[in-house]
Amino acid sequence: MHIRWTAVGLLALLAGSASAATLDELVAKNLEARGGAAKLEAIKTLKTSGKLLIGDQFELGFAQYQKAPESIRAEASLQGLTSVQAWDGREGWQISPFQGRKDPEKMSADDVKSLADEAPIGGALFDWKARGSKLEYLGTEDVDGTEAHKLKVTLKNGDVEYVYLDPDHYLEIRIVAQHNVRGTQVVRVSDYGDYEQVAGVYFPFSIATESKGDGGKQQVTIEHAEANVPMEDALFAFPAPAATKGAAK
Amino acid sequence: MSTHSMKKGMVGGGLLAAAAFGVAVAAPAAPEARFDAGVVSGLGARNIGSAAMSGRVSALAAVPGKDGKTTLFVGAASGGVWKSDDGGTTFKPVFDKQPVQSIGAIALDPSNPQNVWVGTGEPWTRNSVSIGNGIYKSGDGGETWSYLGLPESERVAKILIDPRDGNTVYACVPGKLWSDSAERGLYKTRDGGKSWNLVLKGKNLSTGCASIGFDPKNPDVLFAGLWDFRRKGWSFRSGGESPDAPSGSGLFRTADGGASWTEVTDAANKGFPSKPYGRIAVAVAPSDANVVYALVESTDSALYRSDDGGKTWDKRDKSQMMVWRPFYFANLIVDPKNPDRLFKPDLGLIQSLDGGKSFANVGGGTHGDHHDIWIDPTDTQHVISGDDGGLWQSFDGGNKWWKQNNLPISQFYHVSVDQADPFRVYGGLQDNSSWVGDSAYPGGVTNSRWENMYGGDGFWMFEDPADPAYLYAEYQGGSIARINRHTHEIRFVQPMAEYKEKLRWNWNTPIALSPNEKGAIYIGSQFLFRSNDHGQSWQRISPDLTTNDPQKQKQEESGGVTVDNSAAEMHTTIYSISESPKQAGLIWVGTDDGNVQLTRDGGKSWSNLTRNLKGVPEHSWVSWVQAGAFEPGTAFVAFDRHTFGDMAPYIYATRDYGQSWTALVGPKDAKGMRGYVHVIRQDPVKPDVLYAGTEFGLWISIDGGREWAQFKGGEMPAVAVRDLAFQNRDASLALATHGRGIWIVDDLTPLRALDAKALASEAAFLQAKPVQQRINAFGGWSEGDASFSGPNPPAGADIVYYQKSRHLFGKLKLEVLDSKGEVVDTIPASVRRGINRVNWSMRAKPPRVPPAAQVAFNSTQGPRVPPGTYTVRMTKGKDVYETKLDVGLDRRIAYGTADRQAQYDTALRVRDLFGRMSDLVHKINAVRAQADERAGKLGGNDALRKPLLALKDKVDTIRKKIVATKEGGAITGEERLREHMDTLYGAITIYEGKPTDYQLARVDTLQRELGDVEQEFAKFQSGDLAQANASLRAAKLEEIAVPAAAPEEASAARGGREEERRNPFERD
Repeated sequence: MHIRWTAVGLLALLAGSASAATLDELVAKNLEARGGAAKLEAIKTLKTSGKLLIGDQFELGFAQYQKAPESIRAEASLQGLTSVQAWDGREGWQISPFQGRKDPEKMSADDVKSLADEAPIGGALFDWKARGSKLEYLGTEDVDGTEAHKLKVTLKNGDVEYVYLDPDHYLEIRIVAQHNVRGTQVVRVSDYGDYEQVAGVYFPFSIATESKGDGGKQQVTIEHAEANVPMEDALFAFPAPAATKGAAK
Repeated sequence: MSTHSMKKGMVGGGLLAAAAFGVAVAAPAAPEARFDAGVVSGLGARNIGSAAMSGRVSALAAVPGKDGKTTLFVGAASGGVWKSDDGGTTFKPVFDKQPVQSIGAIALDPSNPQNVWVGTGEPWTRNSVSIGNGIYKSGDGGETWSYLGLPESERVAKILIDPRDGNTVYACVPGKLWSDSAERGLYKTRDGGKSWNLVLKGKNLSTGCASIGFDPKNPDVLFAGLWDFRRKGWSFRSGGESPDAPSGSGLFRTADGGASWTEVTDAANKGFPSKPYGRIAVAVAPSDANVVYALVESTDSALYRSDDGGKTWDKRDKSQMMVWRPFYFANLIVDPKNPDRLFKPDLGLIQSLDGGKSFANVGGGTHGDHHDIWIDPTDTQHVISGDDGGLWQSFDGGNKWWKQNNLPISQFYHVSVDQADPFRVYGGLQDNSSWVGDSAYPGGVTNSRWENMYGGDGFWMFEDPADPAYLYAEYQGGSIARINRHTHEIRFVQPMAEYKEKLRWNWNTPIALSPNEKGAIYIGSQFLFRSNDHGQSWQRISPDLTTNDPQKQKQEESGGVTVDNSAAEMHTTIYSISESPKQAGLIWVGTDDGNVQLTRDGGKSWSNLTRNLKGVPEHSWVSWVQAGAFEPGTAFVAFDRHTFGDMAPYIYATRDYGQSWTALVGPKDAKGMRGYVHVIRQDPVKPDVLYAGTEFGLWISIDGGREWAQFKGGEMPAVAVRDLAFQNRDASLALATHGRGIWIVDDLTPLRALDAKALASEAAFLQAKPVQQRINAFGGWSEGDASFSGPNPPAGADIVYYQKSRHLFGKLKLEVLDSKGEVVDTIPASVRRGINRVNWSMRAKPPRVPPAAQVAFNSTQGPRVPPGTYTVRMTKGKDVYETKLDVGLDRRIAYGTADRQAQYDTALRVRDLFGRMSDLVHKINAVRAQADERAGKLGGNDALRKPLLALKDKVDTIRKKIVATKEGGAITGEERLREHMDTLYGAITIYEGKPTDYQLARVDTLQRELGDVEQEFAKFQSGDLAQANASLRAAKLEEIAVPAAAPEEASAARGGREEERRNPFERD
């Protein structure tokens, strides 16, 4: 129930390789299209909210908090109960209140991967080198009738994300994320649209995600977004006992 | 949706659009309208399988994982490559984006199993075999692929990778089945596939490589079996033209990695059989390179074994299953640890434990017709086999077998549909009988929703329209039967030969229903037969419509070294029949030897129209004739010339009863279409919409055949589409694929609405079929993760629109308005190029439910809106588009609109009660919070503090009558007014007819109980609270205020069923 966006750093790859030139070019164009490195780096926190539609049927209220360098908290609300998943850069936790439990519980390292990977405001590729990722250009591939540029991002933890850039505007239109969860590959395909600017940077306001295998579908529609809202670190940290107010409002 | 969608310029959304485009992102010039795969594929398609019968597996490769899980690659004969990284519990297709789907060989690099090599084009050269286009390699375990050439190889039998160097690879290429070619033999690359050298070639243009084996410890020693073979439409030979005719087949050995070769002969190698040969299979025992096995097809076919690395040979087993159909079964798999244990896949799977002296049938419960085996080197009792019925695993050394129920690689030849609701599909498959399946079922179309009705290889199959309790099905050679769908009683009704006559029935004998007379049925040998009494009697209504060329009628001599006359080569037969729906007795017939024939008088007289067809060579196989759906003089004809080695598409149309023909598609102008054509159909509603199924997929034209676009909806791969069936009531299309089962396109209406004007527009609504509110239904059961289940059509209403380009900037907003113009829902839009389908759940807002210990699950969804006409409004940038959406009831329901309205009104009544309840709880909570807050500000000894806390407790006792408050996540069984209301709401909304009397009475009861607590609170408000406020006032403290109502939730839940197959009332 969290969203993902991606920006691409300007750092060059292997000098001299033909695909590196293409990759550098794409990365630069993507960054420019999003609004430029300076504006992107100036965003230290980001709050988004809107709706989360699950399986074309269930609609929940949605809110997400992100804080640099890599904290994230995603909330989904139903009938006054709010589920929480959060990552503070070290560990992940959740509150799943819909069946009566409102105390926070730790998430396993594997289960929190997909959330943690989405924590950076700039996206998985921004500062990719510092994060230990690898980048590769795989040519173009059809995305629902759009011949998109395909980039392979191998994250430090071994997970892989295939990022597809629109050929005209160089913005992300699809990311296929493969997470290794307890030895099993979990694949999620996210389609991005409705780009709008927040503090001068384009973010997708529509994110449709499908889980391969089980066919689970969800769609996030962002209605409000605000950059640099003050956020306490406690928002992301595992709550101390008796400090679990986030669950019930 | 209405036929007219309108665009309102400059309304709304202007700010967004300005924000989107007012920045430095340079928008390119407006794209030209294109008609291509991106436009049509958004129609979508669902694959309903089935994996019950599955389909032919031609190649296997696997590697045991360090984590104990086997990574397995399965090559389907014509359905791509499937990967499992959990030993077969789950599979995913990994080759779907490649242009061919027939798999001949898979090999994993021993030094890095992430390097996967795939040779395309099956080597088991049966009559229905598909084609490949060379070799592919993945460096990341099958996620992405590079094409490595050998484009003219057509098929690849085996790939071997040097364990010392993953860039040194051998590819054993049999080459073209249907024509001469120099591009065949044993190829070798030393640079990872960048370049290939032909290191061993045959002595003629029909001899290629069919088998290789090497010593993994010394891979420079390698044996290769060359094979001389050729198939024609009317014959096949493995080896020479007859058992003792010269043949290019032979066994060769190299000791220097292919630089030089020595032929293994009876003269030089004691014990080896005499020439001529047919197909040879060779294998070197991995654990002892001196042990070499060779199955040699000859006039005395047998297994041979060498114990000295191929110098001398000893004749071993020659049982029936060793030598049965060597062209189809020529593979030997030796245990990686035990040189005396080997498998020979065949009609039955046979295994030897004594070095090939004796074999036993160990196929057990498998389907049969095995082609490849993998033996787990870490546990040689674990054996995996691929056969004509899919994939099987044995854990006891190959005696008892588990079936994989998760490979929907079924090879349908044909498909038909019926009038059931949901409609059923019917069709026959390669070696897998004739089946009927549901196109939809609550919980999904699982394997259990398919039923086998006959036997043999299946082809055409229909429900008898005159008596739906009966079906027509056939097996090879026109063996038509009429089958009782309930009892499975079979009655053979095939027409039989007259005095000293031979009827020639094609392998895939055409059966056709009359569109004009219910129950009338046609079947063709060289003659056309018609029955209108369920096959009790047949009228022969034509002379021999074929060329009756005796040179093409020598099937008893077919097979080459080993005779093989299975009806697969039967020729000079009728292959396609189509009666005009516009004129009874006007029948088009196509034959496999090139004739297009027409009768306009029910068969009294026939015209051979073949000469009028210009540009197609004589005697080309007529794969399809299709009478026009609108005019009696119109017809479409497809030719399939792949049996002559010509893989190009040919489609012709006539409007004058076949006097003149126009080539819609041909080799000189294929219009982007790839592959030989199996089927051409005209849309039953819009004449200019045409559908063509080829060996590489489905192509669609919306302008009468001038332009074509490949359909890739539902991520359908480039699999052969061999038949198409329209379900006109549902505007649906069923696709018979030969390799990936049945696919359903649920609504063709938007395609019919797509015209040049729509294509040129930036965006436009497209009409969809009338919306039904389908019954909320529950069915199916958990089958585990190792079972295929096909998806159902979306449960809601389809909203369909076209976009010239992908939507990227600013909101693309979809709203639904009721007849009063009020917005009832806002739906996330789809942003792709071309046709977009968005599903609207048709639900009104859900109740406002007061917070409690748990979610009230039934109330997470709103009631479905009443039937009627709704308006859909799309806002895209500054432009606003509108269309009408007619919502009706499920045609299967027994109740009428009045009952439906009663149900909706009752649901709204309960929803209102929930709203009142929410307001009440909100007021209570406000009082609780304020009392708490005021008390907190007071000192511990303040006289007011205690009464305030008591006040809080008192009001909370009212709350506890309304909502369950026990937290902790257990099954508390705590039910208060809210929980009772949720149960009632669920009962009322699950069934959309009239609520029961008890349900209606229960609404009254709960309304009364709610009224009681409301009164109690009112009393509290005027009593205790007023007193407390007086005290607060006196103490100059802020009074406790009671809000008027609860605010709307920021985002109210709108919900539906989480798990369709689960009973919604059982949550334990």
